[in-house]
Amino acid sequence: MLLSAEKVAKAFGSFKAVAGADLHVEVGEIVGLIGPNGAGKSTFFNCIAGDLRPSEGRVVFDGVDVTNAPAETHARLGIGRTFQVPATFEDMTILENVMVGAFLRHPQRGAARARALKIIEMTGLGAQAEQRARNLGTPGRKRLEIARVLATEPRLMLLDEALAGLTPVEIQRAMELVREIHRLGITIVIVEHVMEVILTLARRVLVFNQGHIIASGTPQDIVNDPKVIEAYLGRGHGRQARQA
Amino acid sequence: MRWGWLALAAALLLYPWLVAGTGSAAFLQDMGALALLAAIGASAWNILGGFAGQISVGHAMFFGAGAYLPLLLYQQWHLPPLLGVPLGVGVSLLLALVVGLPTFRLQGHYFSMATIAVAELIRIVVSNWDLLGAAIGLQGPAMSPHWWDLTFRSAVPYYYIFLGVLTVLLVVTWHMQRSRLGYYLRAVRAGERAARSLGVPVRRYKLYALMLSATFTSLAGSLYALKTGFIDPDSGLGILVSVQLIITAALGGAGTLLGPLLGAAILIPLQTATNTWFGGSGSGLTYIIYGAIIVLIARFEPGGLLELWRHRVAPRLGKRREGSHAA
Amino acid sequence: MIFLQVTLGGLLLGALYALFSSGLTLIWGMMNFINFAHGEFVMLGMYVALIVVVQVGGGPAVFGLAAAVALFLLGVLIYFSLIKQVMRGPMLAQILSTFGLALLLRYAAFWIFSPNFVTLPPTALAGTVNLGGILLSVSQLVAGIVAGALTLGMHLLLTRTAVGSQLLAVAEDRNAAMLMGIRPDRMQALAWGLSAASAGIAGALMAISFPFSPAVGETFALTAFVVVTLGGFGSVPGALLAGLMVGLIQALSAYYLGPIYKDIIVYGLFVALLWLRPQGLLGTV
Repeated sequence: MLLSAEKVAKAFGSFKAVAGADLHVEVGEIVGLIGPNGAGKSTFFNCIAGDLRPSEGRVVFDGVDVTNAPAETHARLGIGRTFQVPATFEDMTILENVMVGAFLRHPQRGAARARALKIIEMTGLGAQAEQRARNLGTPGRKRLEIARVLATEPRLMLLDEALAGLTPVEIQRAMELVREIHRLGITIVIVEHVMEVILTLARRVLVFNQGHIIASGTPQDIVNDPKVIEAYLGRGHGRQARQA
Repeated sequence: MRWGWLALAAALLLYPWLVAGTGSAAFLQDMGALALLAAIGASAWNILGGFAGQISVGHAMFFGAGAYLPLLLYQQWHLPPLLGVPLGVGVSLLLALVVGLPTFRLQGHYFSMATIAVAELIRIVVSNWDLLGAAIGLQGPAMSPHWWDLTFRSAVPYYYIFLGVLTVLLVVTWHMQRSRLGYYLRAVRAGERAARSLGVPVRRYKLYALMLSATFTSLAGSLYALKTGFIDPDSGLGILVSVQLIITAALGGAGTLLGPLLGAAILIPLQTATNTWFGGSGSGLTYIIYGAIIVLIARFEPGGLLELWRHRVAPRLGKRREGSHAA
Repeated sequence: MIFLQVTLGGLLLGALYALFSSGLTLIWGMMNFINFAHGEFVMLGMYVALIVVVQVGGGPAVFGLAAAVALFLLGVLIYFSLIKQVMRGPMLAQILSTFGLALLLRYAAFWIFSPNFVTLPPTALAGTVNLGGILLSVSQLVAGIVAGALTLGMHLLLTRTAVGSQLLAVAEDRNAAMLMGIRPDRMQALAWGLSAASAGIAGALMAISFPFSPAVGETFALTAFVVVTLGGFGSVPGALLAGLMVGLIQALSAYYLGPIYKDIIVYGLFVALLWLRPQGLLGTV
């Protein structure tokens, strides 16, 4: 069991964003998290990533209790994450951005640079390595974020809507990148709205609604689950199917 | 751009000799030494404010610690002022921890507020403490036969000592820029949340930057005290000291290696000119101008003159030379 | 008896601190922005009062109102010409913008008004009053009560009126507020106007009782920082409570330890606060 989140809850004042959710991820899985906006997915995500401290519950990563640990500890232990709204270092070049990630495992500049360059090639950003991040469009920024996290050599990657706002072609490229990351042996948990992505990439899907997990299973199970269809998926899936 | 560095180094090394022939050699040499001192202080502030993005508006406390300790040792206990230099650094590091440890885990404003409050607190305490000279201040040795008292009649030996310290600081900063510390600090400045998610121990690195900055600011204070032989609460711990450090770095370009030097090269002559032309009231005008400059920098070009050059001027020059190629 | 007198005096001054600090905390809570020139707004309020009294005549109500209006307009002007733009920029720009502004205002005031301390000519509120053995100056009593009332008024404005809830909506969630048809820009400009006005009136009220010079802005700014930190991020009730406490602590320190200690104790308290309870009394961090 690589990641184990049990009865995680997060309240902001009197508002319960997450009202008790469990997530167990084995090494090598790709798990999807879906649900309507405001369902609590991102808050739950942030609790696992160490960005937020859960009000209740436990998060254990590879045997280490990280419930109250800060985000930097999560990263050092091997949890990497991207952000819903890309948080690239705007005034730094792509290479410099990725080097910040690489420095985690390679304290020496030379080694960090070499590693960063390899990752940049791998993620298809090679041509723009010396450009400032602010000159990239959204797809470029998302790709940069993934490259930057990859450089930290995570064992678990949490992708927060990494494919939102991309054109169909870009989505295909991104999905291929995710598959490639998976082939490297990295376990992936992905929050997504683009249904096709979840259904084709994820082996297991959890559905959030109003702070709870209302269903979990294979993509097939989810698609046919009346609770899920009722909550959100039905209309969305129908729309996606017509577009695909 | 190798020749650029060489030209700069040559100019700095030869400056006292180059102005020796002019009518106001002593004045110009003194101004040169002061400019170097300003560059040291500003470069030190720059490590924290420019690279790490943590804005201290109370850096005078470190400058003051570095200035007071040597003169304190001399005036009260007749010890060589040089011994006070490491003590000044020690006190500065202590102050840095007092201010930084609690505030670096909070949002940025707390740190800035804390710096100005602690600097003012220290200024008031020192102003009322007889051991430290109270409002009158402390004095260093007049002309002394001992080399370690560093009393020189001419500004030239000071000039070269300051140049040496500045060089060390620039080399340290240059190395830092290229190292993990430098990258992590820039990441903290660019986006703390993202930096954390990449494993950057944000609080710890902010403290590193603060302590490095405090050390060199303290050294600048010590050098000032050794040269002028006098310090009092206003010249050592007043808010205008902090202002000088900030504006010198920000005008040239906060977050760049040479920005503080550019700032010093512009501001010290400017300050000297307004003081000379307007006399006593000149200093009042100087600070009105300083305030306006800081506001303009913040409003229009936070990256300072170097950024202005890079983004507005240089591309246009490039276009003219190369035709339609974008810079 | 003396103890009560000192205490009451401290609380009355504290009410004035609360008034101008409530303006600072309003901006902090709403825009996550600390105005380093806030002390200078207080100082300018004092000089507006002086100018009005000297040029036009009139009592505290007149010059108090003048200070409020003048500073309100200044606040709005500063928002549109400076703050609005630097909000989009890096932290360096945000902090330096008002820090530079403080410098500019302070030294312009030195230039225009001279560094000497001045006082307002005696007003209708001159003299002292005897409250059961405690002697208080009328001006301090009135100023303190008015300041306390205005601070409460600020709180009520924010929590009980339509405008107030619009201001709070923008503070809470800018985008959501926009969707509700609230113009964040206008609200933020209004907040700046209110913030500056609160500082201006406080200055005018203090000017009745205390001598002042362009240098006082620096101390007021620091006092405001302590009060808003003690009171808690964005909390006007917190600022009221904290203002009273700081005024009280200052008065007691000055009386029992000596005048130089009044600032030392307060700034020391600030450092202790940062170490032990940065969220202050009523805030969350």
